[in-house]
Amino acid sequence: MAEQTQGAVPLSAVIADAATGVALALQGGGDPYALSRILRQGDPLAPAAVRVLGADALAPYALEHRAVPVGADDEAVVRQTLAAFPPGADASDVSAWSYRGLVEATHAYLPSHARPWPRPPETGAEWTAADPWPRLAHRVSQLAALALPGLAADLEEQLTSRTDDLARGFVRAVRRRDWLQAAGVGRWLARLPDVPPTLGLDAGLAFVRQMGGGDPRVALHVVAAQRFFGRGW
Amino acid sequence: MTAGRGDPDLLDRIVGGSLGWLTAMRDFFRLPPDTTTDADPNLTLKPLGELAELTQLIASSHPCAEFRDAAGRLFAFAWRETRAGALFAELIRGEPYATYPVEIYGVFAQAGLRHPAVEELVLTTTGLRGWRVAREDHTRTLGVLNAERRIGLAQHADFDTAFARTGLGLLPEPWALDRKAAYGLTHDVFHLTDWGRNRRRLAPEAAGYLRLWLPSWLENWQEEQLWDLVGELLAVAACLPAAPYDAAAWQRLAAAQAADGSVPETGAAPRPTDPAEAFLACYHSTLVTAFAGTLARIASDEAEPYAGPLVAGQTAVAGPTPYESEAAL
Repeated sequence: MAEQTQGAVPLSAVIADAATGVALALQGGGDPYALSRILRQGDPLAPAAVRVLGADALAPYALEHRAVPVGADDEAVVRQTLAAFPPGADASDVSAWSYRGLVEATHAYLPSHARPWPRPPETGAEWTAADPWPRLAHRVSQLAALALPGLAADLEEQLTSRTDDLARGFVRAVRRRDWLQAAGVGRWLARLPDVPPTLGLDAGLAFVRQMGGGDPRVALHVVAAQRFFGRGW
Repeated sequence: MTAGRGDPDLLDRIVGGSLGWLTAMRDFFRLPPDTTTDADPNLTLKPLGELAELTQLIASSHPCAEFRDAAGRLFAFAWRETRAGALFAELIRGEPYATYPVEIYGVFAQAGLRHPAVEELVLTTTGLRGWRVAREDHTRTLGVLNAERRIGLAQHADFDTAFARTGLGLLPEPWALDRKAAYGLTHDVFHLTDWGRNRRRLAPEAAGYLRLWLPSWLENWQEEQLWDLVGELLAVAACLPAAPYDAAAWQRLAAAQAADGSVPETGAAPRPTDPAEAFLACYHSTLVTAFAGTLARIASDEAEPYAGPLVAGQTAVAGPTPYESEAAL
């Protein structure tokens, strides 16, 4: 990622600000959503922040904002991101999937009349069957942004058979006070059917938000679980 | 976790090592002369009671005769330390309303070791209205009820009602479990199943809950190297129908066992060099390890009843098997 120059805002702060903006938009607060508005204009770190947030950068467009025309600025920053950070040949599965999530989100939420969006890259999914549950839960939490309506439908289908294992990962993450992982796994569980009732997912998401909501990305995942899948409070 | 035979050889090495260390350290379980007066029961009667509770199970139920014999010798030692039960009469006369003498006596009474004076005393003390006053927590109540059952006394409360209020009975959110609650939950299982002797008492709902969440808890407490609790959770797993076998957890517990057979309560603290301190740091987790290994070994034999391995020089001596066959469920 970009070198931090003296006096500049660190990337983590840019990501945190953007995550806060997305979460606020998902909760229905503030002005109509525009990705370019939650990023500092001309910030050289903006594409990196969008790459980290992945599909979540466009999540508010999955709501009722379809009618609002997407600004050229939004389209520009997304195109810049996709061009700057494509997964390389040796990219991890998480990197490839999160990139694919952002591409899928552009197709789903940002209809482009001028120029077509790139095609989603090929992504391997062997790990969804092969990973032991702790590693599976960790990876899935890193792909929390893909837990959006209509995105990564094949991943959703594969994970449906590992619901118990993901629930175990949620338990482990909460007990470790790893709130970001817990929120990410919990958000995926919110999307999946047949979550074990004894898990207490709704209370669990609320608990994670209370305990770890100081991290805007934790708050974002919990808000997304609530807004899109009606779980947690 | 997978069902099946597990790894009987590994389990036998672990149990053999634990019993060897406990035997070598036996004198540290001896009761001091001031046991009934000034001594701290947590350092005297509690260890001896735990030795009795867990070795009795191993002595009566382990498939291997050599382990049954070794555990039986430790159990007999514990009974001798109580002066064949006379100690309990003194303890009850000193503290007639305390539950611990009755709870520990119950271990021996269940094995047929009784003392006439104690039998008379407990009829009076446990019949008082005051005996029915609520205990520190519901798990403890289960322990007292189990002791009453073992001795043959009237139950001072309804077992199922008390169980429903325990940590396990309430099926708490599995992520909302701290160390104390986890110990409470393992003991809910032990009291309910009479320390693994009557596993059918575990209702399908509770068994399903444990089967679902034990892997998470085992992972958590292995990371914290809290071997004592890992051992208890493995014992609970072995109490489930078609006992799931967590190979990785057993291997890590085996790796935590020292060359002398002791298992430290926690791997996070350095092992004390003073023998008495080392005993206190290891005795409970080593006992628990032997107990868990025994339950897992029994489950392993049940998973493949026609291929029970025989120890060299041992003919097909079937140990007493008070366990219900899972097939009968």
